[in-house]
Amino acid sequence: MSNGPKVVGFVCDWSVDLVPLMEGGRLREMPSVRIIRVPCSGFVRPSWLEDALGRGADGVFVTGCPYGDCLNREGNYLMRDRVDQLQRRLQRRRVDPARLGMLAYGLHDGPAFLAAVRAFVEGIRALPAAAPPRSAPAAPAPAAAERETP
Amino acid sequence: MSTGAGIAPSPPRSRYGRFMTGVLRGTLKLDVWINKVYPADYNPLYYTGGLSNLFLFILVLSGIFLFFYYEASLVEGFASVQYITLGVPYGGLIRGVHRYAADGFIVAVLLHLFRNWFTDRYLFSRDNPWISGMFLLIFGGFVGFTGYQLVWDERAQVLTAMFVGMLRSLPLIGDWLARVFIGGAGVSDGTLVRALFLHIGPASALYVMLWWHYLRLRHPKIWPPATWVLASVGLVFLLAGVIPATSGQPAAPAGRPASFPMDIFFLIPFWLLNYMSPFAVMVLLGALFTLGFAIPYIARREAPQEMSVRHAGVAQVIDGNCTGCELCFFDCPYNAIAMVPSPAPGLSRAAANRTWLAVVIESRCVECGICIGACPFEALELPKFLERDVQAQVLEAVRA
Ligand code: SF4
Ligand code: SF4
Repeated sequence: MSNGPKVVGFVCDWSVDLVPLMEGGRLREMPSVRIIRVPCSGFVRPSWLEDALGRGADGVFVTGCPYGDCLNREGNYLMRDRVDQLQRRLQRRRVDPARLGMLAYGLHDGPAFLAAVRAFVEGIRALPAAAPPRSAPAAPAPAAAERETP
Repeated sequence: MSTGAGIAPSPPRSRYGRFMTGVLRGTLKLDVWINKVYPADYNPLYYTGGLSNLFLFILVLSGIFLFFYYEASLVEGFASVQYITLGVPYGGLIRGVHRYAADGFIVAVLLHLFRNWFTDRYLFSRDNPWISGMFLLIFGGFVGFTGYQLVWDERAQVLTAMFVGMLRSLPLIGDWLARVFIGGAGVSDGTLVRALFLHIGPASALYVMLWWHYLRLRHPKIWPPATWVLASVGLVFLLAGVIPATSGQPAAPAGRPASFPMDIFFLIPFWLLNYMSPFAVMVLLGALFTLGFAIPYIARREAPQEMSVRHAGVAQVIDGNCTGCELCFFDCPYNAIAMVPSPAPGLSRAAANRTWLAVVIESRCVECGICIGACPFEALELPKFLERDVQAQVLEAVRA
């Protein structure tokens, strides 16, 4: 449908106000960005981010509230740590960590959020093409313990 | 198939809901402004709780100092405060610190209350911090009032008379309460002894309530960042030095001053007495605090069904997958996960040798889902927003 890199964004429902920015589950300005609303940025399991990349997404990002103002006190800090960890793990696997992002924007930061997403997408566009998607993406995710082994 | 994807939340219908949504937006807009001045890690509005605790700590330290010199009797009360102010080295400064830290405390507490109210931080199981917070507010306000009494100047005398009038206005128990408060039929030496106890006793009780306040929080932000600690301590000392705390005229048995300086933070109920009968003021206070206690139960901005993914149900442990790794236990910000000895081995390979099992304490869970992100073994789910739903949305995104 669109020609931009396929990006999946997990956005906390308390952070950026998505109602004016979204259309049919995607960002109106960047239809290649699919938004998944989550109850808190800390809800996102890093393996989902990894899965999304493995299944052919060109980039994934998580958006929480500004640091210090998580509705659930610590969700965004915890998520930032998990994203850092996952980035290091991806790097070991020769996946460019720029494909994974952590953003923090409040209810009123719509324009800043859009700008950050745009920068993120542009960063991905500049990267060399990713490895082809894993085959048979419909199979249930393998247990994490098995996925840990490189 | 995709849960909640791209569905705009319907705007809240009730007028109260619309108003609170406006206030929520206003509060967060204020944050945006303050974040332009201070980096987000230093935004003082993110640390109203820590600031309150800091001021309380200053109050305790300076209060212990004052306690050494204070004498609770009608004759000595005023004189000992004068002696502290003028005779004791740095006594006047410490008295001022006690005075201004009390103002700082009540300001920080009110900011804390309104901020958490306006940003919906009392929902679901977070009613416990809210209720304990209301108790803290009532006790804190009362401690402030008895502090004014202890100085036993003209103002203290009038305040006491006003408060006794308010107590007496209550039907049935009024007279009895008034006797308990002043320790007899009229003001006597015993009155100040009681005031001293009613100052220090409830102040100590604040720490018991703080324990309750923190009980459901993991890593509560008890202190503000160091810069704000220094700034607050400095500000309190600066004020105490520049505008020393003073007493009015000593209390005289028959004296009844026409006016005295009102403290806007602690003495608002007494200011209201200018316009209302004591009974009306009591009713108003009672109604305010009753409403305050009821906020978590009656004042929802949105009905739960309007909350979409934000009301996804209490987290559930999938027994067979849990390995007892404790990661969710460490990450749950509300202490809602307990690790118990595993009654039986799990089903998955990783869980077969577990010694612990995670259990969600349902009454504490606020449905945030942070534990789901923490669990690497797919052993936790939010019942109304399953991993399956998330995966479906991811698939849909990458297929298009
Ligand atoms: S959803 Fe999980 S992390 Fe959040 S309060 Fe409940 S048990 Fe704790
Ligand atoms: S993180 Fe998952 S596997 Fe580990 S104790 Fe918690 S529920 Fe069990």
